[in-house]
Amino acid sequence: MVVPSENGRFDVGLQSRTSMPASLLSLVDIEVRRGMGVVFSGFNLEVDSKDVVVLHGENGAGKSTVIESCARLLPLERGSILHHGSLVVDSEGRRSLAKQPFGLTLQSNGLLGDETVENHLSTVCSLSGMKTDLLPLLDAYGLAHRRYDRIGQLSGGQARKVAVLTGLLPAMLSREPRLVLLDEPATGLDERALARLISDIGQLREAGHAFVIASHHPEIMKCATRLHDLKSETSQNQPESQPWQALGIEENISLLSTRTGHRYLRSTRAGLARNGLTALLVLGALLAFIDPASLEKSILVGFVLAAPFAAGLAGDPVVYLMREQRAGDWWRAHVNRLPAADFLAPVLGFTLTGLGSILFLDAFNWKISVIGAGVLWATLLCVRFIELSTLRLARPNAVFIRLLLPILILPWALVVEYAATL
Amino acid sequence: MRRRFPEVFLGIGFVGIMSTLFLGLNWAPSVSINAFESPAAQRIFYWHVPAAWAAFIAFGVLFTGSALWFFKRSPFGWRLHVAGAEAGLACGLMTVWSGCVWGAAEWGTPWDWTDVRLNTFGLLTLLALFLVLGRQSQPDGVETRDTFSTFGLYGFVLVPLTYIATRIWQIRHPGPVIGAGDDGGSLQSSMALVLLIGALSFTIFIIGHMMISMRITHLEQRLEHAQKKLDGGN
Repeated sequence: MVVPSENGRFDVGLQSRTSMPASLLSLVDIEVRRGMGVVFSGFNLEVDSKDVVVLHGENGAGKSTVIESCARLLPLERGSILHHGSLVVDSEGRRSLAKQPFGLTLQSNGLLGDETVENHLSTVCSLSGMKTDLLPLLDAYGLAHRRYDRIGQLSGGQARKVAVLTGLLPAMLSREPRLVLLDEPATGLDERALARLISDIGQLREAGHAFVIASHHPEIMKCATRLHDLKSETSQNQPESQPWQALGIEENISLLSTRTGHRYLRSTRAGLARNGLTALLVLGALLAFIDPASLEKSILVGFVLAAPFAAGLAGDPVVYLMREQRAGDWWRAHVNRLPAADFLAPVLGFTLTGLGSILFLDAFNWKISVIGAGVLWATLLCVRFIELSTLRLARPNAVFIRLLLPILILPWALVVEYAATL
Repeated sequence: MRRRFPEVFLGIGFVGIMSTLFLGLNWAPSVSINAFESPAAQRIFYWHVPAAWAAFIAFGVLFTGSALWFFKRSPFGWRLHVAGAEAGLACGLMTVWSGCVWGAAEWGTPWDWTDVRLNTFGLLTLLALFLVLGRQSQPDGVETRDTFSTFGLYGFVLVPLTYIATRIWQIRHPGPVIGAGDDGGSLQSSMALVLLIGALSFTIFIIGHMMISMRITHLEQRLEHAQKKLDGGN
């Protein structure tokens, strides 16, 4: 099925495209650039059910780039990538969600420190539309006693185990073949966890799941059915083992991104810490230096609406949180809409504006409070859009993104003018 | 001689700008004291309008360069983007600064957050500042170029908006004095002459500036390529 081409790449056989069932993963003539260099060009790879493809090779060869391209995290200069025969990303800029859930473990974990182990893994199950009892799995990896702990409190090795379980879970839950992408999964694992991982890979392979793993680790390389150094490939046989018994029970999920964003906010209180305090500081500063009695109503309404506006300019706290360990990238691979602070904006905006109207206008004004909720929501949405636009940069925190925020002052000033007439 | 074109353009442009300043401050007639709060401050107009004109040329180059990089992956396009952003920043700051000076004298306030023309032009200048500072903060690469050229493309929406702003919403910024669409025009011939010299000078100057900027970017790229070769990369 996989045929070496003239340039040493491996090409998709014609037969596999026409008569065989769709591969779990197809990379067709892809070219990826990072920095100013071309990492690889004209690269083809076909991964079928029961394949364990281990990518090895020297540092900088492009192993992680392959994994991240398969997870739709990198744009393609040429070619296309398909999951289960459906396009997920191509060089024309088309980007679709994979129709079947897939497992992903990034080199930098992609975990949020404020999540508990249980909550994080439950969310991974929900992304697959399933639920399961996580205790036996956690026990197998020596994490049962850490089930309700925050990931940030775990050691580096324990956090890595959670990241590896995150990647394996979609396959562990499903009776249908699933694709699993693991980037350096053995790094930081103790011997017991590594042995368990290798055993799980073997059993999941027998159950029909497929793996693409970037690793140098000799034990991981031993469990490969295909060893690929990004130039050439060798096959190796694996002994038969007991197939994995799927653990998942189907579950209907809705509003997962919203619910997850809300949980992030609840566990970190980042919404109050960043946006709420910014707004209160603005209100405090205005009250400290200005006597409201001496000003006309339009200016006072401006002061009232300054608080939700400032809170919005502080940005979406969930986006800020997800910069930790590339958690945002992990989510971006799985969903079209990242977790967001959806409920924060209207609630905080209404509250802050209500407080402002009592302080500056001497009475609670519900109409202005509703406008304030809208101001915070719209501002947060714009700032979030601008911030997400720069996430692909090598140093997104170093870019002067706040220089673009004055674009919001004119619309805000027009809203203030309107609100003053109410 | 051809290699010296940018310096020649810069030199001619600089002399022209200085001449415009001299003529604008000393030779051009004064405006009516009835029409303006501060008639003397109006002379800054001979600097402000040509600078804004040159800024629009620079933003046009920025847009062209962004499109060439984004759609064609053209290294020449990226050099145009960099040159357009730098020139747009320089001319944008000259325009905003001179506008604030005039606004302070004429309106009693240097800025009005509710005036569409002021805000959209200010934003264009901030966009150029963002592109210049942002590029310096990032390693060169397709990710950097894609992201900033996207901002260059989106930002260009502000150019036509800025142009038509005073025709649709005349809040504080004066309406157009050239190409207003009325038959007479409101400029005396000597005023128009100084303005024309200013616009030409700024245009020549900004072209020279962009040519030099493109040359510097090209040299930076060659240097980086040479360094990569020394590192053993491709």
